[in-house]
Amino acid sequence: MANLKDIQRKIKSVSNTQKTTRAMKLVSTAKLRRAEELAKRSRLFAQKTNELITELSGRINCHKIGGISSRSFEIIEEPKMVDIVFVTADKGLCGGFNLQTIKAVKALLREHKEKKIKVRLRGIGKKGVEFFTYNEVELMDAVKDLSSAPDVARSAEFIQSSIRDFNDGIIDGLHIVYNGYKNVITQELHVNKILPVDVDDFDCEENVQSSMVEIEAEDEEKVLDSLITKYVEYNMYYALIDSVAAEHSARMQAMDAATNNAKEMVKTLNVQFNKARQEAITTELIEIISGVESMK
Amino acid sequence: METLKLEILTPNGLIFDGQAQSVTLPGEEGEFGVLPHHASITTLLSAGVIDFETENGTTESIVVNWGVVQVDETKVVVLVDGAVAIRGENESDVAKALEDAKKLIHDVSDSNVAIAAVSAKIESAAFRLV
Repeated sequence: MANLKDIQRKIKSVSNTQKTTRAMKLVSTAKLRRAEELAKRSRLFAQKTNELITELSGRINCHKIGGISSRSFEIIEEPKMVDIVFVTADKGLCGGFNLQTIKAVKALLREHKEKKIKVRLRGIGKKGVEFFTYNEVELMDAVKDLSSAPDVARSAEFIQSSIRDFNDGIIDGLHIVYNGYKNVITQELHVNKILPVDVDDFDCEENVQSSMVEIEAEDEEKVLDSLITKYVEYNMYYALIDSVAAEHSARMQAMDAATNNAKEMVKTLNVQFNKARQEAITTELIEIISGVESMK
Repeated sequence: METLKLEILTPNGLIFDGQAQSVTLPGEEGEFGVLPHHASITTLLSAGVIDFETENGTTESIVVNWGVVQVDETKVVVLVDGAVAIRGENESDVAKALEDAKKLIHDVSDSNVAIAAVSAKIESAAFRLV
């Protein structure tokens, strides 16, 4: 009999869990819609900014334009130290979302170690920060409440020190790793090389024919510097909002899967419960009948 | 009438995307106008007003606080930090846009002369509408 009670209790607990996961899914769906809208509106701006910077940098490198002291456009042959900034969520329960980013960061760390390049790790997001702290990987910087509420000013402030160090020659590179939003069911991992500007995809031949880019000559340095600063700041901010959208979509999916699993479980438990009940009835009947038989 | 493609983008979305007959931009070194077949140029914008004449001849004004513009023969792409379009159906809409625009300029500039100069421009743009 205790068996019956046990099963009943289990059914109750599983269906309660199901209620929670369903509610969490609905919350994520609502939040996703907002985050997605924000990311979508910014995507075009991000694309155009990156296009502009890549084109500028590509041209500077292709035509070997001299006299530009900004390191952002150089190809640094032997980097000694780089910054890696990663963005994870502040909360869990979103499937493999955080782990994917963490794995990518770990791979990147290994890669740099092989090349004997020192790495300064800067983390945004509680989950990633906690993981690396637990595994005793040194973090230079850890921000725990930015990734759930992206803010232009705070993200700019955060990345500012990297830009400064890059310009001062303390670091030779800047990478941003985050898990971005692709569509409602897929997330896409981005490992973006921000500084120096990545010109690998830029085809000199193809662009040599097209019209020239001319920069107002008087303050070339100033133009380039403020452009680069905006470019890095904006990339950081975009990584944050894209990551939020991805986080919600990942959580929505994870919670949907959990709800379905709970449903399955309730079903099997119900079958078990019915079997157990049937068994109990049968045993009882047999007892009664055999009792009657023995009286005869 | 020949036109050029004008795109004005902010981190929060597209402000304007369409054809324009001419564009006047608040360059870092002074205001400059762009007509179709302009030579390619990339430069910074300071806080000010972008005026442009649309395909059907109406003039629109957009106030920006910082930006970078990329001009080539057929198109003008303006990337800005913050922008307010001076337009509206009625006077109160325009008045509100005017307030927003002034606030935007106040936030970036601390020189009173610059603020006054830009404010005067914003006012005159709004005046055209009402």
